[in-house]
Amino acid sequence: MTISRETLEADVVIVGAGPAGLACALRLAQLGADSKGRGAASSLDPENVYVLEKAAEIGAHCLSGAVLDPRSLAELIPDFLKAGAPLTPVSKDSVHYFTRHRSFRLPLTPPFLRNHGNYVVSLNRLAKWLGQKTEQAGVSLFAGFAATELLVEDGRVVGVRTDDKGIDRKGKPKSNYQPGYDLRAKVVVLAEGVRGSLTKQLIKQFGLEAGNNPQTYAVGVKELWEIPQGRLRAGEVIHTAGWPLASRQFGGGFLYGLSEKEVSLGLVAGLDYEDPRFDSQEAFQRFKTHPFVRKLLEGGQMIRYGAKAIPEGGYFSLLPTAVEGALTIGDTAGFLNSQRLKGIHLAIKTGMLAAETIFEAHSADDFSLARLSQFEKRWRESWVHQELWKVRNYHQGFEGGFWQGILHTALQMVTGGRGLRARYPSEPGHLRLKKLSEALPRNPELKADGKLTFDKLHDIYHSGTAHEEDQPPHLRIGDFDICNDRCTREYGNPCQHFCPASVYEMETSPDGSRRLKLNPSNCVHCKTCDIMDPYQIIDWVCPEGGGGPRFEGL
Amino acid sequence: MKIAVALKQVPTRDALLRLSESKSWIEERDVSFEVNEPDAYALEEALQLKEKHGGEVVVCSLGPPRVQQAIKEALAKGADRAIHFEDTQFTQLDANGTATVLSKVLESERPDLVLTGLQSDDLGYAQTGVILAERLGYPHATIVMEIQIDGEKLRVKRELEAGWFQWVSMPLPALLTIQSGINKPRYASLRGIMQAKSKPISKVTAGELGLGSEDLSPKQNIVRLYVPERKSNTEFLQGSAQQMAAQLVDKLRNEARVL
Ligand SMILES: Cc1cc2nc3c(=O)[nH]c(=O)nc-3n(C[C@H](O)[C@H](O)[C@H](O)COP(=O)(O)OP(=O)(O)OC[C@H]3O[C@@H](n4cnc5c(N)ncnc54)[C@H](O)[C@@H]3O)c2cc1C
Repeated sequence: MTISRETLEADVVIVGAGPAGLACALRLAQLGADSKGRGAASSLDPENVYVLEKAAEIGAHCLSGAVLDPRSLAELIPDFLKAGAPLTPVSKDSVHYFTRHRSFRLPLTPPFLRNHGNYVVSLNRLAKWLGQKTEQAGVSLFAGFAATELLVEDGRVVGVRTDDKGIDRKGKPKSNYQPGYDLRAKVVVLAEGVRGSLTKQLIKQFGLEAGNNPQTYAVGVKELWEIPQGRLRAGEVIHTAGWPLASRQFGGGFLYGLSEKEVSLGLVAGLDYEDPRFDSQEAFQRFKTHPFVRKLLEGGQMIRYGAKAIPEGGYFSLLPTAVEGALTIGDTAGFLNSQRLKGIHLAIKTGMLAAETIFEAHSADDFSLARLSQFEKRWRESWVHQELWKVRNYHQGFEGGFWQGILHTALQMVTGGRGLRARYPSEPGHLRLKKLSEALPRNPELKADGKLTFDKLHDIYHSGTAHEEDQPPHLRIGDFDICNDRCTREYGNPCQHFCPASVYEMETSPDGSRRLKLNPSNCVHCKTCDIMDPYQIIDWVCPEGGGGPRFEGL
Repeated sequence: MKIAVALKQVPTRDALLRLSESKSWIEERDVSFEVNEPDAYALEEALQLKEKHGGEVVVCSLGPPRVQQAIKEALAKGADRAIHFEDTQFTQLDANGTATVLSKVLESERPDLVLTGLQSDDLGYAQTGVILAERLGYPHATIVMEIQIDGEKLRVKRELEAGWFQWVSMPLPALLTIQSGINKPRYASLRGIMQAKSKPISKVTAGELGLGSEDLSPKQNIVRLYVPERKSNTEFLQGSAQQMAAQLVDKLRNEARVL
């Protein structure tokens, strides 16, 4: 079937309306308005800045902790408090080390975890608010549209294709079929967040990543709870290390008071663990049974659930941020400070710097690589570089486990980030997964009580996830034979465990053989499978736009 | 042909609802909203009729600023213009109040056809359309599954119980309440969204319609809202296999109403 597609021309196409993409769009609109105010003849019209977002509503796929460092938000919207940004000032900070039954409060909060002057936020609410500002500034925001393909011509990115809508499970058009558009642009900005699917295409087609450390990841699983008043202060920030994670695992827990009655809590676990049966959703449920956490939550009510991966590699894992016709910003490029577990401020800042670069390119009508590479120069000369350089070896220091990591961190702090060598190397996390035969005996399975702890299906229901059921699966498996045979023997199908949304299920057929069954409509778009699969045969692609979780309040 | 479509915005299906402090409505913060399902079908039907017979589709929606999203979606799909009834006096009206407000504008618009959804997914009264027809003096048909228009004549297929249908003829102008599943609603297109930006949305307040609080005072009130209490009940059927089968069928048909 030849598909006739409509082509639309924009000046700038931004893929993803998270903090990075929205900040980029809003800054472009601001710069356009400024120069128009100064009487410039051909200014950038914000209407020709297109932002594509796969979620049905802006913010619905945005999930974070989160404690926000307001540095870049204040640069973007100086009166952000007056303008009604949904923020709660941090009121208190503490760090605790957990053993199974006890917790030890660190007498001093390490400097990088001190949050005075920062804000507790729900990224979902913040993105919604930023989205409104961006729309009011005249930008063309398209929620419910996924970018599914980069358009590349003669070694240059010239645009993106949007998702085909109304295709059935078998790939046939339905009566309301609507082919995707080819959106052509002078520059494409990839702001897809962690492990972007177009970014993957970009890496492949442009041979990026060479010479750096590979990106390493973690996954964060979280819930929003309503709790009785008086247990946690609004703006209170608690971090935990230790149990329930094994000492060789990277990660920790967090509890953030969004208000006196709302607490955001979660567990972050490195996607470089060894036990193929490790299950982040289950580990998080265990976390809640710790007396310290239980005491906070008991009698409360779970409101929302969600999960999302986090790029942890830092400075040495950053992608080149400019190629012919495209820029990468925020998480998709790897801008995240894993020591502080903060990326929102870097997403906003890199979005703004990309906008400034694009605006200049537009004024000069020159979108050459030389011009776009000014973006790389800009962020390197800004505080983004300073902040990431200082912690360039942080995450790698933990590859030998928690206690070694603490030692490396201390050493790096006194050597300006260097530690034992100039660049600590790292390897992709999935390579550290051990075969089933080498794995240690497993904890007895946790029995969810339905009040404090929940099974996956209950949690997924609370992620508000919904997809059009009759569409092709958006998880493309390279070779089911590996799943049904080799992986079963070697790793015991870790997909069943690492997916926090039960998308992967091993089903026993009547003849007794076990086969992989996919439940794509459960998917919360966390991208863990694409990252953690030991054979790297899972390709996560965008489902029909508008489908996915609804991370309200997360 | 001028077609008016009444659209309501309701919490998304499967939205996780929390009761508000007053226990008579839900906490709207952190809830996402969408176009009421049967209304989306009504809109699609209107757009298809316009494609066949020409004319204009006018979307009417009542509610706070958030309903702009539903209105824009309708305009992006191809409606020509919209009327947004926005006023604090319009919050939590009953069906009679909503129909009263809508009728004030539609009396002067005099559309040839008014389409509403069969009922709203949140309150489920199934009355707004019917009362509106009465106020406008239009004939109406409910639970409509097919529409045929031939000049001034209208023939519609209504859904009855147990797989039965009924064909009804009526004159235009008329009001129809549409059942979900009558068509396959289209997606909003990128181009449609761009074009929607320049389509007119007129705002209307209670004052402009000459409506005071007496006119809108509810005839129905929500006394209490609560989460269904879960009761699990096991019943054992007695008798021979045949008798038990007969009892089971009876229960499935008349109590569970699934047959
Ligand atoms: C559990 C957890 C806790 C965290 N805690 C903190 C914290 O306390 N402080 C902090 O600063 N940071 C924290 N972070 C990190 C922070 O959330 C990210 O750094 C930040 O969200 C990155 O912003 P972004 O705009 O780059 O990407 P995202 O926020 O991921 O946004 C990307 C957007 O693009 C959309 N998208 C992706 N691909 C496509 C496509 N192909 N087509 C259309 N749309 C697409 C997505 O739906 C999404 O809306 C945390 C992250 C997690 C997961």
